[in-house]
Amino acid sequence: MAIRLAGDFDISYAHDMAILRNHGQWVMLIVFLTGLFALPFVADGKTLGLLNIIGISIIAAHGLNILLGYTGQISLGQAAFMAVGAYTTAVLMKYGVAFWFALPISGVVGGIIGLLFGLPSLRIKGFYLAMATLSAQIIIPWFFRNVRVDIFGGTPGLTIAPPRLGELVFNTQETMYFPIMLTVVVCTLVAKNIARTRLGRALIAIRDNDLAAEVLGIEQFSYKLRAFFISAFYAGLAGSLWAVYARSINPEQFSLLNSVWYLGMVIVGGMGSALGPILGASFIRILEESTVQLAPALSKMFPQAAAGMLAALGPLVFGLVLALFLIFEPRGLAHRWELLKAAWRLRPFAH
Amino acid sequence: MNWDLFPQFLATGLLTGGIYSLIALGLVLIYKASRVFNFAQGHLLMLGAFITWWFTENLGWDVWLAFAAAIGLAIIAGWLVERVALRPLIGQPILATVMMTLALSQVLQGVTILAFGAYQRSLPYLFPIQPIVLGDIRLKLNLALAFVLAMLGFIIFVLFFRFTRAGLAMRAAAEDHQLAQSVGLSVPRIFGMAWAIASVVATVCGVLLANISGVELTLSLIALKAFPAVLFGGLESIPGAIVGGLTVGILESLVGGLPQDPALRALHLGDIAPYVFMLIVLWFRPDGLFGLKRIERI
Amino acid sequence: MNKIVLTITLVVMAVLVLTACAPAPAPTPVPPTPAPKPTEPPKPTTAPATTAPQPTAAPKPTDVPKPALRTKANPGETITLYHLGDVTGPLAAITTPLVSGFDDGVKYLNKTGGIRGAQVLLEMSDTASQVDRAILGYNRFREKKPLVLQMYGSGETEALKARLAEDKIPVLTAGVSSKGSYPPGYVFAVVPIYTDQFGLFIDWLVLNWDKVKPAKGQGLDSPKIALVTWDSAFGRDVLTAETRAYAERKGVKIVGQELFTPGAPDVTTQILAAKKAGANVIYTNTLAHGPAQILKDTVSLGVREEFLIAGCNWTLDLSMLGLAREAAEGFYGVFPNHWWDDADHPGVKIIQAEFAANNRKPAERAVGYLLAFSFVEAMKQYIEKTIDRVGFEGLTGAAVYETIVATGELKAMQGVTALDYNKDRRAPSKARIVQVQKGKFVYLTDWMTAPDLKPK
Repeated sequence: MAIRLAGDFDISYAHDMAILRNHGQWVMLIVFLTGLFALPFVADGKTLGLLNIIGISIIAAHGLNILLGYTGQISLGQAAFMAVGAYTTAVLMKYGVAFWFALPISGVVGGIIGLLFGLPSLRIKGFYLAMATLSAQIIIPWFFRNVRVDIFGGTPGLTIAPPRLGELVFNTQETMYFPIMLTVVVCTLVAKNIARTRLGRALIAIRDNDLAAEVLGIEQFSYKLRAFFISAFYAGLAGSLWAVYARSINPEQFSLLNSVWYLGMVIVGGMGSALGPILGASFIRILEESTVQLAPALSKMFPQAAAGMLAALGPLVFGLVLALFLIFEPRGLAHRWELLKAAWRLRPFAH
Repeated sequence: MNWDLFPQFLATGLLTGGIYSLIALGLVLIYKASRVFNFAQGHLLMLGAFITWWFTENLGWDVWLAFAAAIGLAIIAGWLVERVALRPLIGQPILATVMMTLALSQVLQGVTILAFGAYQRSLPYLFPIQPIVLGDIRLKLNLALAFVLAMLGFIIFVLFFRFTRAGLAMRAAAEDHQLAQSVGLSVPRIFGMAWAIASVVATVCGVLLANISGVELTLSLIALKAFPAVLFGGLESIPGAIVGGLTVGILESLVGGLPQDPALRALHLGDIAPYVFMLIVLWFRPDGLFGLKRIERI
Repeated sequence: MNKIVLTITLVVMAVLVLTACAPAPAPTPVPPTPAPKPTEPPKPTTAPATTAPQPTAAPKPTDVPKPALRTKANPGETITLYHLGDVTGPLAAITTPLVSGFDDGVKYLNKTGGIRGAQVLLEMSDTASQVDRAILGYNRFREKKPLVLQMYGSGETEALKARLAEDKIPVLTAGVSSKGSYPPGYVFAVVPIYTDQFGLFIDWLVLNWDKVKPAKGQGLDSPKIALVTWDSAFGRDVLTAETRAYAERKGVKIVGQELFTPGAPDVTTQILAAKKAGANVIYTNTLAHGPAQILKDTVSLGVREEFLIAGCNWTLDLSMLGLAREAAEGFYGVFPNHWWDDADHPGVKIIQAEFAANNRKPAERAVGYLLAFSFVEAMKQYIEKTIDRVGFEGLTGAAVYETIVATGELKAMQGVTALDYNKDRRAPSKARIVQVQKGKFVYLTDWMTAPDLKPK
């Protein structure tokens, strides 16, 4: 149990269940949200661009976290489910559906496809399931590349018009920031609350011991499928936002490597906590950005390996960070944050 | 349908399947010993090819000598990987090891580029480029010889596991880690050995492939084809790896080659056939053809 | 123990992150026009020749306003060239020499006086063939108001096309897909687009069929082409409605498209299927290891004499010769530039010398280095022409765009490669057909003009 602030007692059941337990936290939340949505008016496009990519990654990572962190099922197909969402949005918008309707529909379509590839989880688990989702990661991009080129655009993919809301056109980093961050906030809220419902507890029970959970009356198959649906639903939303953000999608954008990166985000951030994906996605994206910034400086130091430096640093740093986290902090940044909070509250008594 | 080419495609698929089997063998060896599925097998393979190239290019060694030296290095590399990356994860959930091998694949990618550059190179040919013509069937000599080498490797490993002390120890450890430990086998050492052997297998495979298609970064992608193979054969079975690899090779070649309609051919069906097949296998026989059924107790 | 290691690790990472948050390590260029807000850069609406002052959107509060055009750089003034490309992705093999070429090209520029006295800087960003990274990198560049961008990778160019037009930043791209270059925008292909190259190849094939047709093989009365190519946007860019119609008009039959994955160990299935479909010509739209694979496999099947094998410009590279060796003999390709062997060409001579002076590895003696070096010089020419027109103060992406469109043919590096654009054209159209003979590229034709097969 986390250590609470002094003087913070449960005085009612509602209070016991509350996420925000005192006025201070309310104030902090409001300040944070105001700050979050005021940012586009002060920050430059480069920062906002990074934040937008982080936002989209957070949504996909949240979904993966529900499957991986809460239910204990490995998925190597998150990027493919994002592709489903992205293509759904692109095709719907091509036929004149407004983005604001296409967004939730993309989530649902993504979820249904995710469900389809989750079906084998009835019989298989653990590593084998990873393989089933790996086949999704190969088959789905193949589908968009080859089937009904007239609708899905084949290998060159599709171009998407920017979404509009009345006079407002969402075609810059500043404008795209709002729909992305709004979705992130809603998704985070939902993800946080899923863990606190019967559904969330059932998923955790399955993760910890599926047979025991079954004996307790938790229908494993149905709950696993729900987890798959929610996970792919999130991916669908992320894909949909990605489509209007990138404005041009093709199957090569949703590769196995992307799926691995999302897994990495969840691991680094910390599985099984709503904070984890946020920290993980931010950390990995910022790290990625910093390696890109750092590479030229390093190539100047080692001019003979200059070209290689640029190429090698990205995978090298990502792989190393992931490996270090797995060895030294498998519970991720979120756990560190909890420890930090506890230490702060206990100060000056360390133990 | 190109039925007249059926024997041709069957034979080509069989030979390509030999390569897939060899990669699958590496995966099975590690999984059998330590319950780790090695997603980095493809990158070990690529690294082996690059190291061999480096010896021939920079030291001017004969390609066979370079090959042997690369195998020697591969033993060290495999052992090192186990010691540094996987050993700390013993006892962690399966996810941790899966992620670790994925992380490893990225590190190896980076290291390879940094050490050798991302350029495409070519090895001196191990075998000449010429056809073998058997009636209507035309085969690539280098692929056929690679196939023979792969099969030879299998025989060596089957004998190794059946008759040598180390092989028997590895089988014992695969059965039950604690039990093996209690009869005096050093399980960590066995893990190290499994990784070293798998890394050797990867290098052999990498050099055989590089001989066919060149030394380049895309070599690592071929391991993706071996995944359906191992699943079909069963993760714990060495004969399964052969059967799985050959099946995937044949399937890919037949599905890719037989349809004649241009519209159908444009779908590039051969590319996804192994994965659709994998889904079907997962659905009907999740433990694979020769895999062990695990009975779980609470 | 573990805790200590962990702490150190975290501290190192924190430092890494902090370094990242600091401004980019490359020295920030002094913007020639201090633009006050990241609003739309001004675009001269009048004819290029006029020296009309810039619209009021870009006042110059700090600079001393000069009455005449300033065509000479102030001391310490710099111009940054930007380069956004895939260095780690599947194209790594061809793109790493490109990076070296850019580096050395910029070095050479600075040695020879920079751009009208301004020192040239180079900033790069890797996209790993991933569009999200390309967009991130682009955002970073966009803030700095680049005059002109160098890119490659068809997917990324296509994804950024709309943004480039919005931000008015012209791009020279080596990913010359038809979809990226047309309809005309701010994307300029540096070699003929793939469909045009294929058209040029068909022209040549029809003219010379009796001379060049394979020794053996089937249906030799007329060319029957099978495309054996990669299953990717790039690989598949050749076969369009326009190229099909063009081939039909020329009496050339396209019998099928066979796809393979880059790095596949075996393409014999594709070759035999092409043979079965009646092909006697194989055309491939791949990078160097694509044709190498096809050539080697036709030899190892014993069917090499039954096919005329050819490819787009990127197939003609050093690594193709290295990978395919003897099997490369007789391979044809569409070649829009000069090659390292043209030792008496003045541009190639300079590049040869710079290559040696910078101690580059033999593996980098590739098409990427040669072209990148030339593109840097082409950018210099475009920027100088722009300076002559609007002065240093008026130097914006939009102004450079106007110059590129108005210039017409421009010989980069004294003609190592030629760029040619106008109002409607976004790619040059001149190329020669070469053949590999004794491990060298031999020009078979004079410069030919490709038919216009851009998508409708």
